[in-house]
Amino acid sequence: MRTPLSSGLAAASMGFLLLGLALRSWQVLLLALSPMIVLASGSLAPPPKPRLVVVRSLSRDRTDAGREVDVVLLVRNEGSSLDLVEVADVLPREFELIRGTNHAVVSLEAEGTLRLTYTIRSPVKGDFVLGPVRARSFDPLALGAQDVVLDLRSPLVVAPAMEDLRRAQLQPRRTRPWFGQVPSRRIGPGTEFWGIREYVSGDEVRRINWKASARLERLFTNEYEGERSGDVVIVVDARRESSVGTEADNPVEHAVRAALGIADRVLAAKNRVGLIVHRQVIDWVPLAFGRKQLYRILDHLVHVKPGGEWRFSHVGLILSRFFPRGCLIVLITPLLDREALTAVVGLAARGYDIAIVSPSALAIERRIRPDSEEDRMAYRILAMERANRVGQLRRVAQVVDWDPATPLALALRRMTAWPRRT
Amino acid sequence: MASSHLMSPALRWTPIAVLALLESWVLWDLLAVPDRRWTAGLAVPFIANVVFLLLARGSHRRWARWIGLLALGTTYVVSHAFLLGIQVLPALVFVSLLIAQLELRILAERFAPLFLATITSAQQRQIGSALLRALIRLTIASVLAVVIPLLAADLATAGVVPVTTIPTALLLSAGLVAVVLIIALLPSLESNPE
Repeated sequence: MRTPLSSGLAAASMGFLLLGLALRSWQVLLLALSPMIVLASGSLAPPPKPRLVVVRSLSRDRTDAGREVDVVLLVRNEGSSLDLVEVADVLPREFELIRGTNHAVVSLEAEGTLRLTYTIRSPVKGDFVLGPVRARSFDPLALGAQDVVLDLRSPLVVAPAMEDLRRAQLQPRRTRPWFGQVPSRRIGPGTEFWGIREYVSGDEVRRINWKASARLERLFTNEYEGERSGDVVIVVDARRESSVGTEADNPVEHAVRAALGIADRVLAAKNRVGLIVHRQVIDWVPLAFGRKQLYRILDHLVHVKPGGEWRFSHVGLILSRFFPRGCLIVLITPLLDREALTAVVGLAARGYDIAIVSPSALAIERRIRPDSEEDRMAYRILAMERANRVGQLRRVAQVVDWDPATPLALALRRMTAWPRRT
Repeated sequence: MASSHLMSPALRWTPIAVLALLESWVLWDLLAVPDRRWTAGLAVPFIANVVFLLLARGSHRRWARWIGLLALGTTYVVSHAFLLGIQVLPALVFVSLLIAQLELRILAERFAPLFLATITSAQQRQIGSALLRALIRLTIASVLAVVIPLLAADLATAGVVPVTTIPTALLLSAGLVAVVLIIALLPSLESNPE
């Protein structure tokens, strides 16, 4: 294939030729030779089609957002000698190159090798594929080139960064029959003192309250508040309306971080956790315990991108069909429209226990917008509207208004107990 | 690694220096035109060349660069063909420099970013040798583009090759036109979006 430069040189040569003939000037005619000679020099050694074998190795195939991954690309020339060959390892646009290079222009002898080592990092989560490798063999005068695309693809899963919520108090109010860490307001196995009762045969000796027994001259046994586990369903609102801000700094990215942190915290406290993601499709993970469930939730959250036209009320249908009534619903939504408000009121009316974490799209947008007088005025109006919406929601649910620039744990700490006990 | 980082600015500035040389050359010729009306007329393509080249630099538009260089060449050729007369050696040097400037810019776009990355010494050596090879080829082609037409002119004026008859001139011209057309009509390389 010829490049535009070769066509340009041919056109210039022809221009000089025609001008020379028109002016009957041999000197102008002579100028037509220069571009022709450059063209001829390039045509003497046309670029061969590269025959390359490439191998790519990654230091890890699963990583966290912001963590570095080392890549080594080994290119071997299995064809004839390549005068100049440009090799580029195509990266998804979300990745930034930290060290090294994924692109080189070199000469490769037959059986020669090129080793590209580089380090990449993605600030956003996702299920990415590195590759293909593009190679272009060209002549040094840039007059012709041969392209090949080597279909070598390496999957790389980037998990979202997790919010540290170890100190946050997150627990469902209603409990299930399984043992856990949530005080159930019922007598049972636990650590919190509940009361005493008369000793009955079979009571453990270590539970006998000796002081009360000595005072009343009968044996008494301590009773404790049973600690059970509960169910928590995390609902992530990733509708198209939530797409505000940049690729790394938008309510959906922060909602995913928060969802993962909450799931980790709640699962660690021996509760069951489920997930509903409201995006282009509504998908969900049924309630389950344990570490495996965290990985299941993580796998679903990795693919979350803003989009979809589903009405928010569909979440109610999923909840009523696939999740038990007594669970705590943690809704993570930027509250950008009144539909979320209506849906929450509807769920509360049906007896669900609801807590809302709202990553503020307004705070995100304010950081990326210039700070003009008009913007300040618009911000004040929108902040009032948001405060009004949050105020209405606080009648039926506990709401955490979260500026994603601050850690979620800090926003949760400002609440007294979360969710509130009624 | 420091020398690697010095390569990048050197590569980037060389085509600009060559272009500045060509611009001052044409400006000098323009000022040497005795007729003020012609000077004013030729100033139009010259100013257009400057404007388009600045536009190309600011907005990275390829068409603007092509138009700018075309305007520069047009100013030179018209001023010499109609007013100043064509001296073969300087004219050939000018045309060769114009082509070399294009080639150097392509090399700079291709190689300069590579020297900015933190690369290993082995990679640096491989890239450096490829650049050297390209520069040697370019130098040889540029020298040939000046020397061969000069030799041809010498041979023609010395009467060694009898090309002065009208039928042979027409035949040669037709052949040259055919070759140029074949090359020009070959498929151009499509611009790669990545």
